[in-house]
Amino acid sequence: MVNPLLAWTALFAPLAACVIITLFFLRSKTPSALIAIAGILTSFVCTVLLFLQIFHTHPAVELQQSFAWIHTSTLTIDFGVLINPLAIMMLMVVTGVGSAIFIYSKGYMAEDPSMPRFFAYLSLFAFSMIGIVLSNNFIQLFIFWELVGLSSYLLIGFWYAKPSAADAGVKAFVVNRVADFGFLCGIILLWSVSGVGGERTFLFTDLAGTIPGLENSQLLSTIALLIFCGVVGKSAQVPLHVWLVDAMEGPTPVSALIHAATMVAAGIYLLARTFFLFEPLTAVLTVIAYIGAITAFLAATLAIAENDIKRILAYSTLSQLGLMVMALGLAGPLQGMYHLTTHAFFKALLFLGAGSVIYALHHEQNIWKMQGLLKQMPVTGWTFLIGTLALCGIFPLSGFWSKDEILALAAEHNTVLYWAGTLTSCLTAFYMGRLFWTAFGGKDDHGHAHESPAVMTIPLIFLAILSIMGGLIGIPHFIYPEAAHPELNMPVAMISSGAAILGLVVSYLIYGKRPSRDPLETKLGFIYPVLKNKYYFDTVYGWYVDRVQQGVAITFAWFEEVFIVRFGVHGLTGAAKATGNALRQLQTGLVQFYALVFVLGVVYLFFVMVTRL
Amino acid sequence: MSSFFFYIFAIILVLASLAVVLARNPLYNVLSLVVVIFALSSLFMILEAFFVGIILSLVYAGAVLVFFLFVVMCLNLSTPTLTTVQQNRFQLLGWLAGLMLLAEFFLATKAFLAAQAMQPVSEIRGTIEAIGKILFADYLLPFELTSLLLLIAIFGIVSLAKGALKTQ
Amino acid sequence: MIGLGHYILLSGILFSIGVVGVITSRSVLKILLSLELLLAASNLSFVAFSKFNGDYTGQLIVFFVILVAAAEVAIGLAIVVLMFRHFSTIQADELKDMKW
Repeated sequence: MVNPLLAWTALFAPLAACVIITLFFLRSKTPSALIAIAGILTSFVCTVLLFLQIFHTHPAVELQQSFAWIHTSTLTIDFGVLINPLAIMMLMVVTGVGSAIFIYSKGYMAEDPSMPRFFAYLSLFAFSMIGIVLSNNFIQLFIFWELVGLSSYLLIGFWYAKPSAADAGVKAFVVNRVADFGFLCGIILLWSVSGVGGERTFLFTDLAGTIPGLENSQLLSTIALLIFCGVVGKSAQVPLHVWLVDAMEGPTPVSALIHAATMVAAGIYLLARTFFLFEPLTAVLTVIAYIGAITAFLAATLAIAENDIKRILAYSTLSQLGLMVMALGLAGPLQGMYHLTTHAFFKALLFLGAGSVIYALHHEQNIWKMQGLLKQMPVTGWTFLIGTLALCGIFPLSGFWSKDEILALAAEHNTVLYWAGTLTSCLTAFYMGRLFWTAFGGKDDHGHAHESPAVMTIPLIFLAILSIMGGLIGIPHFIYPEAAHPELNMPVAMISSGAAILGLVVSYLIYGKRPSRDPLETKLGFIYPVLKNKYYFDTVYGWYVDRVQQGVAITFAWFEEVFIVRFGVHGLTGAAKATGNALRQLQTGLVQFYALVFVLGVVYLFFVMVTRL
Repeated sequence: MSSFFFYIFAIILVLASLAVVLARNPLYNVLSLVVVIFALSSLFMILEAFFVGIILSLVYAGAVLVFFLFVVMCLNLSTPTLTTVQQNRFQLLGWLAGLMLLAEFFLATKAFLAAQAMQPVSEIRGTIEAIGKILFADYLLPFELTSLLLLIAIFGIVSLAKGALKTQ
Repeated sequence: MIGLGHYILLSGILFSIGVVGVITSRSVLKILLSLELLLAASNLSFVAFSKFNGDYTGQLIVFFVILVAAAEVAIGLAIVVLMFRHFSTIQADELKDMKW
């Protein structure tokens, strides 16, 4: 039997950790780390227990427990949890990968004096993310959505004294703000059509019942697109993808947890959770699929021109997120969630491995400054290799299975998207190979890099095992037990494997000998600067903010200055002063003047009385 | 017959009051006010208010105005330097106000003058017995209170004068 | 015949003259004198009403008015004396400390 109390505990344990650290332990490093780790492990244990409770139950469990938080005659907002296999799987990913990363952070941030603040923020993030996963209604989800955005801002700008980090945090927050505006409009519109008067609801379960029955597909399409807006922001799809790469300014564990495994996946999760809304709207789904494909391809091309290890991985994340969105656009929430899960494993692994490298080389992040790391840091190197192969989709690692299912789905429905996906896979293999050969290959003439401490390597090994086994443990069957499990599509599998191997081989040919500079800089000619400038998205946005938005702001400021301040505020004070000055003249201090005024008053009164007669 | 006397005393009254306002020498102002009081007293006699008429003369003319004269004499206010004063700035407005008030009085009493509706009540004769009966019966409290008031006035004056003495 | 109206009008004339006196007097003494005129005017009208309405109340009021006027004049003159001692003049314009 499912015990919802486990869900509540999983939700609030990290919050308790955050509060305790903030109140009592902001100066103490080790206690704060241990409290935070205890918090997330508590959530993990609760999640595992929930998992065991719903494992293999038929039909699929869906348990909801909620409290009416705001209750008026026309509006009810609940606060509650909705437990189903989808939520539990996502929660396993969040808390499992999260626990690994929390433990890893204890080693990575050991020299940083602000470590307690880091763990406080990280726990806040864990609370917010678990909140998103467990929420049972749109408003609660939105609240946690925003909280996650806040945590992301705090963590990206963790080293706030560094201008680039502070700016990156603001950029992430502002871009998400734009998206969340659309999201909120969508939520409110959805609510308004969900019933009449007191019947309207935000609950997923209720909406799943009422929405499919509605006739107005234009309105529903608008709503779906607006909600997808939120996904575009949070999961960094084109055109709101610009924040994710700069978010790499944050510490590496943050990049691993938030910007690879969990937060950015929240958009995908949202789409899967509320898929009942999108399912009948084929036009909207097509839009979603194409945006996903464009993002995937664009990001893959940009990764080729990057030299910072974290930024390459960031573009890789963008690319895989695009694939997941594409899967959902092809009406495949199962495939999307499957890839989300396996991606969490190997992307977190890759980021933590990169972090290990960065830590060992004293915060060096340029791959051209790294060489021969495979021999110097064996555990990091081999686990990184496993992660790379999983990402490229090499049989029998987890990435192969999940990516393949997406490509098979595309092959069935839309040939253009299928070839886009395959080409992206080829490029993925190419740039990951480039990364690996450049950083880990070659001779180790420096020899300063030592392997990282166990607190960092053990999570790497754990994630490597998950990356290997991920495809074989039947994840999709767990999430959607009623769905028919697709058979392995041999032609697709062959072509995708071939593309990946092709990419790896080409990268070996160019980079295997570890040249001292990137030959692509010269070989690609005019394309290279375009890639280096990220297709000028940032330039255009920057121009817009500088010219258009500032122009509007300046106009409004002028308006306020002249009309409201000068005429309104100063006008009022001026009028009051003038009146005061005028009235002051009456106080002459001469008694006879006062008597005169008296008499004039009497004369007037007398006049009124006499003429009335 | 009484109307003839009324007009005589009325004219004296008005002329004397004008003198109070218009005369330059303060001595003349005070003395004109004495004339006003006497004329008023006469009018009261015509109205058969004997008691108040006598009281007016005795108290007002006899005590109050004498006090005024004391002050004028004491401060040598009738000396030439003090009598030549500049015009007060509210001359015009003051006269205007007075005239307007007068006009309104005319308006108000026009009806009275024309109709001659009211007749004097001959039973009301303000003799001492009549006034005394009512004063000590119905109006005893105000009577006692005014005596208290006079006492307080005396205190006030003495303390004011004492203060002035000290500063000398 | 002399009716109530005549007395009231006379009282009114006296009152107006008194008002003019209060407003246009240069010296404080003259202001006080004009105040006396005002009181006299109201006394006349009270007595007239008393006679024509058949009520002694008017005359009693006059009695009290005279009393209180006496007290008021006494104090007023004490103040005038003080003023003369302080300013060496009795011009009403000297008293302007309450001006803004």
